[in-house]
Amino acid sequence: MCGRGPLPSVNFMMNTKNAVITGASRGLGLALARALAADGWSLVIDARDGEALRAAAAGLPGGAPMIVLPGDVTDPAHRDDIARAAADLGGPDLLINNAGTLGASPLPAMADYPIGELRAAFEANVLAPIALTQLLLPALRRRGGAVLNITSDAAVEPYAGWGGYGAAKAALEQASNVLSAEENLVRVWWVDPGDLRTQMHQLAFPGEDISDRPLPDSVVGAFRKIINERLPSGRYRAAELVPTGVPS
Amino acid sequence: MSLDLADARVALDFVLPAEREAHEPPEARGVPRDGVAMLVSRAAAGEISHHAFADLPALLLPGDLLVVNTSATVPAAVALPGGLAVHFSTPLPDGDWLVELRAAGGPATVPYAGGSPGQRLELPGGAVLTLATRFTPRLWRARLSTAVLPYLLRRGEPIRYSYVRRPWPIEAYQTVFGTRPGSAEMPSASRPFTPAVVAALVARGITFAPVTLHTGVSSLEGDEDPYPEPYDVPPATARLVNLTRRHGGRVIAVGTTVVRALETAARAGGPRPVTPSAGWTEHIVTPDPDNRLLAVDGLITGLHEPRSSHLRMLAAFAGLDLLGRCYTAAIDRGYLWHEFGDLHLLLP
Repeated sequence: MCGRGPLPSVNFMMNTKNAVITGASRGLGLALARALAADGWSLVIDARDGEALRAAAAGLPGGAPMIVLPGDVTDPAHRDDIARAAADLGGPDLLINNAGTLGASPLPAMADYPIGELRAAFEANVLAPIALTQLLLPALRRRGGAVLNITSDAAVEPYAGWGGYGAAKAALEQASNVLSAEENLVRVWWVDPGDLRTQMHQLAFPGEDISDRPLPDSVVGAFRKIINERLPSGRYRAAELVPTGVPS
Repeated sequence: MSLDLADARVALDFVLPAEREAHEPPEARGVPRDGVAMLVSRAAAGEISHHAFADLPALLLPGDLLVVNTSATVPAAVALPGGLAVHFSTPLPDGDWLVELRAAGGPATVPYAGGSPGQRLELPGGAVLTLATRFTPRLWRARLSTAVLPYLLRRGEPIRYSYVRRPWPIEAYQTVFGTRPGSAEMPSASRPFTPAVVAALVARGITFAPVTLHTGVSSLEGDEDPYPEPYDVPPATARLVNLTRRHGGRVIAVGTTVVRALETAARAGGPRPVTPSAGWTEHIVTPDPDNRLLAVDGLITGLHEPRSSHLRMLAAFAGLDLLGRCYTAAIDRGYLWHEFGDLHLLLP
């Protein structure tokens, strides 16, 4: 047969499980990296703060391969590095677009949101994850893979001060929604983890005590369920998913 | 001793009389979806019996598992001004699609042998299809200038071959289980399933589990092997298949697409008999003893054309002798072929 390019064999697909997690140096990204590493996934992890990222990587469990790539997801060259690293592992099965930015802090009102800050928030929270998804999609399709975008209830609720971040997350949600309608070979999930005790959340409430918010590790069970059970594409709230602990 | 596949093809060559073809949905003949006939063969006993599809609950046992295909049919045919038509068959990982070019002819379309690499075809609505290379003698690798699925949902019509004499709306090509659009042609074995039949099966203690396999165009020559198709066997389904077989239940595939998906997942190399997996499958089910069925015990399917690769799959369930007797009986007794026709339940 002419023109019949190689398609992956099943055995090739099942040899490894490889995930890309952006923003993995702390907070939810680190919690997810810890969970997947413990489950035997090979990882490509990225974060802007190289020192924090390397320290985080050193503390991850498991012996599976890991590629640590300090950099900014809004940088196209860095995104190319991520795609190459995922290919080096054998190809991605999962892309977790976790890296994001709150925008201006303290949170300004929409009436006087600095447009430069808003543009930067959209760069990091919308355009970068879309661009990285575009880069990895052919490989994700090949492996029946998945894209998991981290969103927020700020994407749908009118929380005063959260207009910049919320508008960007709303854009990411709709991009995910459309992607899921166009791609029937790749799972697309957009997941609201709920309020968590993270540095980003602290930035939203500078000087306030946020110790009543749960730690990011408290929601990894919900993410495990979405990922391991390969739930249908769609929007999920971590709080709605009760992990069953049934091995797959 | 290994079975000679060339012999197998000859053994399953027969003449399909035109009056055995279903020319329209059963509803158009005054028969409800679940009112079609069903031939039942039992491989161990070598027996054949004749039933209505609605007898299915009584023919299965509590603890049996029906695995269904959730792929919904896409209106995958696009007519071009000037008489050419494009049938979108199968997506490839890089975003290309396998497409078949057809020309107007007879009551529907006929294969079109033309086309050249790099050729750009203007499709309705301003989309452009660029042909890349030939993938098989019949199929081109091609790229559409817009997202294919949303385009087809807006602009396409159901693929129709000449034995179906007039167009039917896409709803006639959907099954009760079809929730993920992606098949170029209807996974037709599940067409007769109605909510009432599903409820009766559930009440009998028969369980259901989903897989997805987006099936491409079926217009292959008799000697062409199936091409790769995207499939998805999710973890919950793999667990149910393994559990059912461990407890002596039978895994019954609803459609040849389900057999292909499950037998692929049974070869995915995991620690359990059937491992969750997804991707493209090139696995072909044959009656060769080296290629025995690992995941599926029985099959509900339609009646297939002479020399089609599907008949080789059926021979893996029934053996050539019983399968030959089934098809002789089906022709003698007036069973109807093709996607709007009658069914065949192959039990172990």
